[in-house]
Amino acid sequence: MTSIGTGYDLSVSTYSPDGRLFQVEYANKAVEAAGVAIGLRCTDGVVLGVERLLHSKLLVKGANRRIASVDEHIGMASAGLLADGKFLGSRGRDEASSFRDNYNSPVTVQILSDRLSAFLQAYTCYGSVRPFGLSTLLGGVDKTGPKLFCIEPSGVYYGYRACAVGKGKALAKTELEKIVSKEADGQPGISVREAVKEIARIIYLVHDDNKDKDFELEMTWICTESGNKHAPVPADLLVEAEAAAKAALEEGMEED
Amino acid sequence: MVVKAVETPNIGFDFSNHARNQFLGQRLQGTPKATSTGTTIVGVIFGGGDSGEEAGVCLGADTRATGGPIVADKNCEKIHYLTPQIRCCGAGTAADTEFVTNLISSNLELHALSQGRPARIVTAMTMLKQYLFRYQGHVGAHLVLGGVDSTGPHLFTVHAHGSTDKLPYVTMGSGSLAAMAVFESSFKENMTRAEAVALVARAIRSGIFNDLGSGSNVDVAVITKSGTEMLRNYETPNERSNKSRNYKFRRGTTAWTKENVRSLIVSEDVKITTGAGKDQGGFEAKQVPTGAGVGGEEGMDLDS
Amino acid sequence: MANISSVDISRLKNGEVNLGTSIMAVQFEGGVVIGADSRTTTGSYIANRVTDKLTHIHDRIYCCRSGSAADTQAVADVVHQHAQVYTSVYGSPPPVATAAALFEKMCYDNKDQLSAGIIVAGWDKEAGGSVYNIPLGGGMFQQPWAIGGSGSTYVYGYCDATYREGWSEEETVKFVKNSGCIRLCVITKDKVERHFVPGNELPRFWEGKEVVGNMSGQRVGVTA
Repeated sequence: MTSIGTGYDLSVSTYSPDGRLFQVEYANKAVEAAGVAIGLRCTDGVVLGVERLLHSKLLVKGANRRIASVDEHIGMASAGLLADGKFLGSRGRDEASSFRDNYNSPVTVQILSDRLSAFLQAYTCYGSVRPFGLSTLLGGVDKTGPKLFCIEPSGVYYGYRACAVGKGKALAKTELEKIVSKEADGQPGISVREAVKEIARIIYLVHDDNKDKDFELEMTWICTESGNKHAPVPADLLVEAEAAAKAALEEGMEED
Repeated sequence: MVVKAVETPNIGFDFSNHARNQFLGQRLQGTPKATSTGTTIVGVIFGGGDSGEEAGVCLGADTRATGGPIVADKNCEKIHYLTPQIRCCGAGTAADTEFVTNLISSNLELHALSQGRPARIVTAMTMLKQYLFRYQGHVGAHLVLGGVDSTGPHLFTVHAHGSTDKLPYVTMGSGSLAAMAVFESSFKENMTRAEAVALVARAIRSGIFNDLGSGSNVDVAVITKSGTEMLRNYETPNERSNKSRNYKFRRGTTAWTKENVRSLIVSEDVKITTGAGKDQGGFEAKQVPTGAGVGGEEGMDLDS
Repeated sequence: MANISSVDISRLKNGEVNLGTSIMAVQFEGGVVIGADSRTTTGSYIANRVTDKLTHIHDRIYCCRSGSAADTQAVADVVHQHAQVYTSVYGSPPPVATAAALFEKMCYDNKDQLSAGIIVAGWDKEAGGSVYNIPLGGGMFQQPWAIGGSGSTYVYGYCDATYREGWSEEETVKFVKNSGCIRLCVITKDKVERHFVPGNELPRFWEGKEVVGNMSGQRVGVTA
């Protein structure tokens, strides 16, 4: 080796001696640098929310959305390289539409996650490509009910009650655990309207005003209220949730 | 003189038969037809139930092969071997029934070897129907398929276009109507083996005697779990007997006005030598008669 | 396009086995009832008088076949295989809509070589009982009831005038029997139940007694 390092991180098709793929781990670093994305599965649907970091004050408000619609009933929120997210969204739409063509029936979130994870995994096998710098939340309501999945750069995917990816995911996850554990205690599950407020609160909590750029809160849902279609959370509810989130943050600071 | 150094090798496709066939097609008003077996083939399931007999399948066939109005073979075999426990009767184009059963038999053997167990009748049926469907009826094989496997006795018909039927008694070929009439009036469930063989033979005879396309002898195959018995020429109801008269004209039947005897014997001298142009003495060949005179050998009687 | 619900016999190849057929399928709350006659012909000869045209595709999905026996058997075999693969890949039985889509694709893509008029019917968790008609050209139409085959024209008026929404299983079975079906099959969440109606138990309609009088004490009129 002419330069520093062991050389085991130069190709995704090379294992390190202790069995790691460094390129895949670097892809995870790309995810950790991105604004947080949160998904929460509720009794009556699924809510997705992202912290959209604004790198310029010149950007149009509300533009450059990070949550994509993959099918009528499935939304996809990605954290990581934006261009990779667009590409995976396009692939997801192709898969969903081909499933409809072949089987005359909408694809389930589980099947779509399975197809996309297989696609991602293929990018961890060849020296000529790089893995996707993405962690992706897929949420939707299908014939099996409300479902939430997270696909990681390695191609592995899990089903979740609630999940957070991106910068500050650790803090976000502890907050989500509090919500989910309530249901485990036998209390009724959270509704999507409550979830919108909770996710807004968590994103404001996780956002670091000192270090991070400004951000916009972007939220979509798939629920009974939206006719089980993937749609943006209504503006009035979003404004309300943001106000509540800010208030909760102030309150939290006063307590400190 | 210019001489070609290399002869063009005789390669590539040869379309000369195409021109010939077109010419013949025009001359004959239609291309010639392949040999077809005007046929009676049948099958029944017997045994089982209260009969107290081993369940099995009995197949039958006539033995006439025809080419248009001509009997091409008086004693052909129409019960084809597929596996030790599966047989298949063929009607339709003789060549197609022969080749399709040979092919499927070969594939069933390979299938049995790879799976480590005997092939089932449905497997044979599926292979046959998928092959025949692929050729859209151009492979003219109409089959009666029967046998015994781990799931019991099975009997199918397979039509040339690839459709199949599963029935307790079946007939096919030009004599199928005659044979079906026998089955429809006399078939019983859970027959004994002897009853089944007799019924099958009667159905085939019905085809032999009432259908012009069928004739000659009755072939029967009996398949049970314990084995297959091929009863070739089980009945021969059309044995050729000695003619009571012969059709030779006696000498002198025809009157003549003139008699002229000529020698048709030709002889020549042949000198055999060995070695190029070298006279080694050789020997003179004897005069050998190379033809025979009229009636020379037969020694027929002269009319008195 | 005209003539989509009856089979055009002139499309059959010479010597091909035909299902000159009456088939039908009717949806009801909780399942479907399907029915068919039992005759297969080659020309004027009945090649099989006890044919089963109600063909298994999956646990709760069947199809009724009309047209060429070879073509419809081949298509049903392929869709049956697809349904099995679907079950093992996705871990759940295919919906009726999916089976119908597979039939439609086969029938449409190969419309020039096939003469197949198929009705797909069955029960699934999402839709309950459903009926899809796939006539000759390879179209696909979801209907509460469907009839098909060359004989269906004779009962079109009867079915259209008689069918009502919201029938029970028993009422639906009676409707299919009265339409002249020999083989019936009831498919619900809990069962696949077959019925056979012998020729002498078939419903009888107008037999001329108004003109020639009641003949030798025979029963006249509609029986269920």
